[in-house]
Amino acid sequence: MILKKISLRFIFALFATLFSIYLVFLLNSEGAPRILLNLLTFAGIYGLSAIGLNVHFGWTGLLNFGHASFMGIGAYVTLLLMPHAAGREGVVVTTGLPFIAALTLGIIAAALFGLLLGLPAIRLRGDYLAIVTIAAAEIFRLLVRDLESITGGVYGIINYTENFQKYRPSFIDNFSDNLDFSPSQAWVCLAAWVSILFTILFLKRLSNSPWGRALRAVREDEDAVRAMGKNAVWLKLQSFMLGAGIAGLSGVLLAFNYGSLESTVFIPLLTFYVWAIMILGGVGTITGPIFGSIIFWVIISETDRFAYLLFENANGQQLAGVRFLLVGILIMFLMIFRPSGLLGKKEELLLDVK
Amino acid sequence: MSNNLISVKNLKKSFGGLKAVDVHELLFKKGQLTSIIGPNGAGKTTFFDLISGFQNSDSGKVYLNEKDISNSQPYKIARMGMVRTFQLTKVFDRMTVMENLLFSGSNIDNDSFLNSILKLNSQKLYENNLKDKANEIMNDLNIAHMSNSYARELSGGQKKLLELARAIINEPEILLLDEPLAGVNPKLAEDILSLIKKLSESGITILMVEHNIEAVMKISERIVVLAEGSLIADGEPNEIRTDTNVIEAYLGKDDE
Repeated sequence: MILKKISLRFIFALFATLFSIYLVFLLNSEGAPRILLNLLTFAGIYGLSAIGLNVHFGWTGLLNFGHASFMGIGAYVTLLLMPHAAGREGVVVTTGLPFIAALTLGIIAAALFGLLLGLPAIRLRGDYLAIVTIAAAEIFRLLVRDLESITGGVYGIINYTENFQKYRPSFIDNFSDNLDFSPSQAWVCLAAWVSILFTILFLKRLSNSPWGRALRAVREDEDAVRAMGKNAVWLKLQSFMLGAGIAGLSGVLLAFNYGSLESTVFIPLLTFYVWAIMILGGVGTITGPIFGSIIFWVIISETDRFAYLLFENANGQQLAGVRFLLVGILIMFLMIFRPSGLLGKKEELLLDVK
Repeated sequence: MSNNLISVKNLKKSFGGLKAVDVHELLFKKGQLTSIIGPNGAGKTTFFDLISGFQNSDSGKVYLNEKDISNSQPYKIARMGMVRTFQLTKVFDRMTVMENLLFSGSNIDNDSFLNSILKLNSQKLYENNLKDKANEIMNDLNIAHMSNSYARELSGGQKKLLELARAIINEPEILLLDEPLAGVNPKLAEDILSLIKKLSESGITILMVEHNIEAVMKISERIVVLAEGSLIADGEPNEIRTDTNVIEAYLGKDDE
């Protein structure tokens, strides 16, 4: 029964992904497992975020270009509710909630931020929503930067990872010793992929449900949805909240992958990476972003090599430039040759640029 | 007033200096099949938009079952039993014909986020009943063979049928049809006409905007003529046919 469901696209995506992982081993004669772990951690976190974005864009047709702010809200609320140190002086906060409670509140906060942003903005159609969301995300980032007394401003938040790492099971340490991994990153990586697994199971349940069907109807034609007696605005808000909550979770994981958190993490580039991953994986698919994310991060992490071909002794800035270039070229080629991404159905092409 | 399902009082709408709709009083009886005709730009579609909530009026009142629905949200009006179709068909392109119907027939309880997570047996039962109902309607409308096709693969006429089917599965009390015959081949137009007649006979109140005068004369029980936003004639098809105002404003150019 399961075999019947596996399509050619899926097999192709799987092979492309495995090949890209193989490429990592091929290109890195030394330390490939460590590089791979780093890459898979980012892939998991960004993939999760892209899955959330897909609820917005793929399911409901909402052009959200402020995804970074949902990730940011999740991360900041969670971290600030736990013991941490923040700001220039590194003011230590020793009291706080346990990790799971803080995480739950962080996710809820992200979803509520989605609601808050959605209430005035969601009535806007298409590109107008895109403009408002990207502006809101920048306002969020600048606020976080300037509210130094709470968020640590440009100095950021530190000393919070222990809240999560203390739950690290011992098998990870043993395992990591053998493979020369950083055990804390291995734990974040595992958490990210477990989160993906549960999110996907949850979304699979929803996508075939009447609710998922209603979201797709909103994506296709809001007026017709209204004419059928359905509240399109409320459906869009629900979608916004769900996707924002998922993004919030991925933001928390991102914070734990970095040992410190400051506002520049949530620059618009983060949103664009997530968009690229979603397009690569297949807009409107549920599992697509996983494959998209791994391949994307292989490309990104092997950029250095590419950059060294262009510049001798490329510095950080040049590397960043080359990454930009690659992401741009990647999206361009996808748009031309495979706008449905790895897993998207041609007939359900969601990115028909009119 | 009791058998007036819809009453419209002093309904006004202008776009800048252009008076689109200016109707002093218009009542629609339960169960009647009324056509609204008039030359291009007479305000027919705007009139539909105003009573179905898709546009807000400048002033005036619309009552449905004696309840004030002026400038209500479209979905609220639809839930009260007044369902409309559109001049330019609005089907859910990248959903199958079946999904189009299931979405339209499903009630808001069934659509809710919570019920969709819980997936109780009651929801499965409801969905199965809905599927049966959808199949029945598709059979009636001869689109059953397209059940699993994406709606965008349908021809223009089939899209009109799908829109009608979607309205029917919604079980409306009142159906507003905006040019149901536009761009449809003569054979299909016949089918759609007889379907509309059947719906009317089943007790649904129907308001229809249509340019095909021949068809309108054939099936309407009452015809309302708008010109430049105002009511210029109102009566049975025979009366309208001979009304000098109408002939001047409209029929004169088309007929003879």
